[in-house]
Amino acid sequence: MAVSAGFKADLISAIPSLRAFAVSLAQNSDRADDLVQETLVKAWDKHESFQMGTNLKAWLFTILRNEFYSQMRKRGREVQDSDGVMTSRLAVHPSQQGKLDLQDFRAALEQLPEDQREAIVLIGASGFSYEEAAVICNCAVGTIKSRVSRARTRLQEILQVSGEAEYGPDSIAAQVMGSPVHG
Amino acid sequence: MDRMEKPADTEANIVRLNKNGDPLGPNSEIGRKLKQYYEDIVSEEIPDRFSDLLSRLETAERSKNEE
Repeated sequence: MAVSAGFKADLISAIPSLRAFAVSLAQNSDRADDLVQETLVKAWDKHESFQMGTNLKAWLFTILRNEFYSQMRKRGREVQDSDGVMTSRLAVHPSQQGKLDLQDFRAALEQLPEDQREAIVLIGASGFSYEEAAVICNCAVGTIKSRVSRARTRLQEILQVSGEAEYGPDSIAAQVMGSPVHG
Repeated sequence: MDRMEKPADTEANIVRLNKNGDPLGPNSEIGRKLKQYYEDIVSEEIPDRFSDLLSRLETAERSKNEE
């Protein structure tokens, strides 16, 4: 079956968000664009396995994410596991009078382990539901929730954002995990 | 004029939003920055390499089908 014009148009319209997700994973725009390119080729080749009417964006994000991790493994880079990350590796960026600079934010985001970074980006920026993010990351919904929560807590620590820590992550983590998150 | 950065209702909004289960909503500073970071990339112009790539894929498929 030929690739339909509609499918091609949908691929094109997904490129901007695929690039944003790729940059957040790879943290390098050249590598990110290589990832997007590889994703488009794979999506084109596998277009018959995409079920019309289901979420194309989520399908493409899944392909991109799988490609990212498989490239990391090929490079022999160990995938970061958030459980093994110590707070001490985080440099503290003093925020200026509570105003968060985008550059500081980017630097803070880069310090997160991949699993937390992808979770908070998928939920907080890409517009996916927890359920969709769980499918994309091939893990449980509760795992996504706790990763988002930990990511947010850690970003607050790094950026020394005050005024929201007491409201957010701990209560969510408590619902998810039945106990407060340390860290 | 040394007004405070945050409007008075910000904290109340944070509480309300988080009760609704959105810890990264518009009144979360982390949530706002995250969206700004992401939208900056989304709004970049799409590099030509991607439309070129899709055209090549399309051409390759067409010639394959004509064989």
